[in-house]
Amino acid sequence: MTLHSSRPDARTDLLHGTLDMLILRTLQWGSQHGYAIGQTIRAQSSDVLQVEAGSLYPALQRLAKRGWVTSKWGQTEANQRAKFYRITPEGKKQLLREESRWTELVNAISQVMKAAPAPTGKE
Amino acid sequence: MRLWILAWFERLKRRRLDDDDFQQEIRAHLAIAAEERIADGAYERSAQLASLNEFATVRLTPEPARRVWTPWWVDALHDQLSDVRHAIRALAKHSVFALTVVGVLTLGIGLNAAVFTMLKSIALSPIAGVDGSARLPVMFRETTAGRQLPVSYPDYQYLRDHDGAFSGLFGSSVATFNLGKGRSARQVWGEIVTGNYFQILGVRAERGRTLLPSDEIAPGRHPVIVLSDGLWRRDFAADPDIVGKTVEINNYPLTVVGVADPTFHGTTVVYDVEVFVPVMMAPQLGFSFGSRETTPSGILSDRRTSFLFPQGYLRPGTTLASAAAQADALWATLSRDRPLADAAERLRVVPFWQTPGGAPSIILPTLGVLTAMGLLVLMIACANIAGLVLVRALSRRGEIAVRLALGATRIRIIRLLIVENLVLAMPGALFGVLLAQRGIPVLVGYAERLAAPQRIFFNIEVDSLVIGFAVLVACGSALAFGFVPALQSSRVDLVSVINEDASPRGASRGRLRAGLVVAQVAVSLLLLVGAGLATRSVDAARRTNPGFDASHVTAIAVDVKQNGYDESRGRVFYRKLLDAARADAGIESATLAAYTPLGFLDTPARRVAIEGYEPRRGEDLAFMSNTVGPDYFRTLRINLTAGRAFEDRDDETAAPVVMVNHTLAQRFWGGAPNALGKRLRVADGDWRTVIGVVADVKYSRINESPRPYFYLPFLQSYRSTMILHTRGPAPIDVLVDRARARVTALDADLPILYARPMDEMKRGALLLFDLTATMLFIFGVAGMALSALGTYGLVSYLVKQSTHEIGIRMALGATGRSIVLAFLTRGLTLGAIGAALGMVAALGFTRLLGSVLFGVSATDAVSFARALAVVLGGVIVATIVPAWRAARTNPLSALRHQ
Repeated sequence: MTLHSSRPDARTDLLHGTLDMLILRTLQWGSQHGYAIGQTIRAQSSDVLQVEAGSLYPALQRLAKRGWVTSKWGQTEANQRAKFYRITPEGKKQLLREESRWTELVNAISQVMKAAPAPTGKE
Repeated sequence: MRLWILAWFERLKRRRLDDDDFQQEIRAHLAIAAEERIADGAYERSAQLASLNEFATVRLTPEPARRVWTPWWVDALHDQLSDVRHAIRALAKHSVFALTVVGVLTLGIGLNAAVFTMLKSIALSPIAGVDGSARLPVMFRETTAGRQLPVSYPDYQYLRDHDGAFSGLFGSSVATFNLGKGRSARQVWGEIVTGNYFQILGVRAERGRTLLPSDEIAPGRHPVIVLSDGLWRRDFAADPDIVGKTVEINNYPLTVVGVADPTFHGTTVVYDVEVFVPVMMAPQLGFSFGSRETTPSGILSDRRTSFLFPQGYLRPGTTLASAAAQADALWATLSRDRPLADAAERLRVVPFWQTPGGAPSIILPTLGVLTAMGLLVLMIACANIAGLVLVRALSRRGEIAVRLALGATRIRIIRLLIVENLVLAMPGALFGVLLAQRGIPVLVGYAERLAAPQRIFFNIEVDSLVIGFAVLVACGSALAFGFVPALQSSRVDLVSVINEDASPRGASRGRLRAGLVVAQVAVSLLLLVGAGLATRSVDAARRTNPGFDASHVTAIAVDVKQNGYDESRGRVFYRKLLDAARADAGIESATLAAYTPLGFLDTPARRVAIEGYEPRRGEDLAFMSNTVGPDYFRTLRINLTAGRAFEDRDDETAAPVVMVNHTLAQRFWGGAPNALGKRLRVADGDWRTVIGVVADVKYSRINESPRPYFYLPFLQSYRSTMILHTRGPAPIDVLVDRARARVTALDADLPILYARPMDEMKRGALLLFDLTATMLFIFGVAGMALSALGTYGLVSYLVKQSTHEIGIRMALGATGRSIVLAFLTRGLTLGAIGAALGMVAALGFTRLLGSVLFGVSATDAVSFARALAVVLGGVIVATIVPAWRAARTNPLSALRHQ
C-alpha cells in the first residue's frame, strides 16, 4: 500500500523554488554538469549550502521539464563523460523573476528583523 | 481514433523520465566525485565510499525525479492501481468469499441487465437501426370516446405541407402482404410508406436505393419495392443482382429497387417488417381500407379512407406540447374549411411508445413491474454481500488496525475497501451482461415460437448502453454493499484490537446484521408474493373460459384474391369449400370467419348506428366485429342465448341480418330477448335486423373486460380473405392436414397463408402473461435463494461467534435442544419482523401489478400465505442447521475456541 501524499505542499514549493533559483544562477556563467553545480553552490556559499544529489537531480529534471534548462552529454576537462546543463532564454527570464522575488522577500524579512521593538502596554 | 490515442500515448511516454539516461548521469556523478577525491589525495576505495555515502539517496533519487515528469492524475491512477492489485491479492486468498459475491452479483446484475435490455428496446430505441427513435412523435386522430384512428392520405399531405413543428412528416401503415405467386406464396409483414420515409428516418440502402419522394408522384405509377436485409438473405439467397428483379406482391409485379440497411426492421415495434412499398401503389396491391371509392386512385384522394400514421422528428427547439398545440390548431382549421360529417375528433401528437395499438403501450407497464422486481433482487443481493463483507471485515480488524497504526488515514482505508468492493463488482457486471446476453435470446426464441408463423423482431442487442448500465449498477451496488461495512471497519479501536485480539461484540454491528436479515426477509417476501400472484394469474388465465372451445378446431387461412378470384368467383369457391368440408365424414361442422378470437391485438372497430338510440353529443359508437359463415357458433361452441344463428339462407338475396353479443344487447336493449328484431347499421350500409344474441367471448386478450361486439354473415358481406374452421373428433394434426387437402383439391395454386390448430393461435394471447409470469417466477426464486443464503450465512456466523457462550451454557447443563431453541427464537424473531415489514410493503406494491394480474386480487390470501410459509421455512432451516451443529460440539472445545 502506498501512503504518500500525491501533491507537494506549499512548504516544499518554497524550498524547490529557492533551489531552482540557485541552480539557474549557477548556470548563468556557462553550462555545467550536475556534480559541478552542486560543488559551485557549496563553494560560493562557503560550504553552508550542501546540495544533496537526491534534491539536485530531481530539481534539474523539474527545470528541464519547464524548459528553463537544456541538457547534453559531453566531456569534462578530466575527460569524464557527464551531462551538461545549459540555461535557456526562458530560464534567464525566470531567474530574473526569482531574483526580484527573492530580494523582496529578503528585504521584507530583514525589515521585520531590524525593526524597533513594538510598543507594548495599554493605550 | 485509435491513431490519435496512440499518438497521445507516445507523447505521454516521451514526456517521461528517461531512466537509462538518468542512471548514466548518476554514475557519471559518482565517477566525477570519486575522481575529485582521489585528486584531493584520498585512497581510491575510501573515496568511492565517501562518494557513495554522499550519494546515500542514490537509489531513491530516480523516484522523485520520475515524479517530476508524471502528471498528477497518472500519479492518482497509480495509487488506484496499486489498490486494485492489493485488492485482487487479498481476495484471491479468500476465493470462496470472492466467488460467492461474484456469483450473487452476477445473478442480481444479470436479471437487471436483461430487463433493462428489453426496456431499452421498447422505450429508448424502439426502432432498430434508427438513431433517436424514441424521440419520434406519432400523430393520430382521436374521437371523443378515445378511439384512436389513422389519417387519410389527403389529410397527411395537408399536415406534411402545413405543420411547422416537424422538420418532416412521413406516413406509414403496417399490413400483411403475400409474397410470391401461387402455392409458394407466403405472408410477410410490410409497410405502406410515403416517399420521404427512409430519408426522414435516415435509413440507407445496403444495395440499390431506398424509396424516394420521387416514388410518390402519381397513383399506380411507381411499381417498386424495397426489401429488408433479412428477406433478401432468406428468400433470395442474398442474390447480388436482386436490384431490378421483379417480385410478386399480392399478385402484382413490383421491381426491387433496393435492400434496406441490415439493422432496419421497419417502424412497427415487435413486427419484423420485410417489405416496403410506396403509398401510391396501395390500390394496385388490393388495399381498400374500407373505402367506398370505386376507382383505384380513389382511396388516395378520399378523406374518409384513413390508414396512415404521420410521424417525424420535431424541429430543434420545439417541444412535444407545442407540437401538439399546433397540430390541434391545424386540425381545427382543416375541419372548419373542409368538414367531414363524423363525430368530433382531435389530432393528437404523442411520443413513439404511445403509438396507437403498438406493442410498447401494452408491454411497457409489464416491463415497469419487472424493473421494480429486478431492483428488489439486486437489493437482496447487496444486503447479502454487505453481510458477507461485514463478516469478513471482522476477521480483517487486525490488518486494518496495523494499517491505521502505520499512519493510514481513515479515508485511505475506506478507499481501499471500496476499491476492493469494486474489484468484486466488476466481474459481477461482466458475467451479468453475459448472462443477459445468453438469457434474452432464450426468452425471445420462446416468444418467436409462440408467434410463428408471423415473424417478430425484438431490438434486444446487448450494446454499449446495456454494458454501461451494468457497470453503473455494479458500482452502485459496490457502494451500497461496501460503504457501511467500510465505514465500520475503518473505525477500529486500535488499542483494544492490538492488545486483546479478542472477538468484538460491537452492539452496533450486531444491530446492522440483524437489520440485514430483517431487510432480506422483507424483500424476499415481497418478491415471492409477486411471483405467486403472477403464477396464479397465469393459472387462472389458462383455466379461464374464453367463451369458445378451440380444441379440435382447425384454422386454415386463404386469400382467394391471390389467385385472381373476383367476388362472384370467390363466393363460389368458398361455397364449394364449405360443402366439401361438411361432406367429410370425420368433420362435425365447418365454417368460415374473418378473424380468430384471442388474437392479442384488437381488430378494427367499425362505426355503428343503433335504431332508436340517439348517440350523445360526440359519442363515438364503434365496435369490433367478425364476418362469419353459417355454423360458426356451433363450430366454436359459443353459446346462443336468444334467437337463431346465421344459416345458409341468410345470403345476398335475403333480408340483411346481424348477430350481437350479450354485452351489446344488454347495453342498448336491456337484455338478450329484447334485442331480437331490433335493427342496427354498420357505417353507411343497410339496416340489419338482429336475429340472434350470443355469449361474450374474449376477443383479443384474456384479461379484457366485456365489450360490445357484433357478427355479420359472410354470405351478405363478402371478403376475399377468410379462415376455414373445421371441428372433428380426430387428432388435431389429422384434421389440419385434411382441411388443407380440401383447399388444395379445390385450387392447387391457391396459397395457404397458414394452417394450424386453433389452440396454437390462442397461445399468442397468453404470450405476455407467460413471459411476465416466467420472469416474475425467476425473480422470486432468485430472490428467495439469495435471501436464504444470506440468512444462513449471517445466522451461522452469529452462532459461530457465540460458540464460547454455547460452551459455557452447556457446561452449566443446558441441553442441545434448549440451545437450538434459543437460536431459533432469535432467528424467528428477526424473521417475523422482516415478514411483517414485507407484508406491509407487498400490500402496497402488488397494487402496481394490476396490469399483469388476472383472476386473482392483488391481496390474494393464498399467494401471501404461500410466500410467508416459504420465507419463514427458509429462516427456520437457515437457523436450525448452524445452531444444531454448534450444539453438538464438545463444550470443552467450544470453551477453548477463543
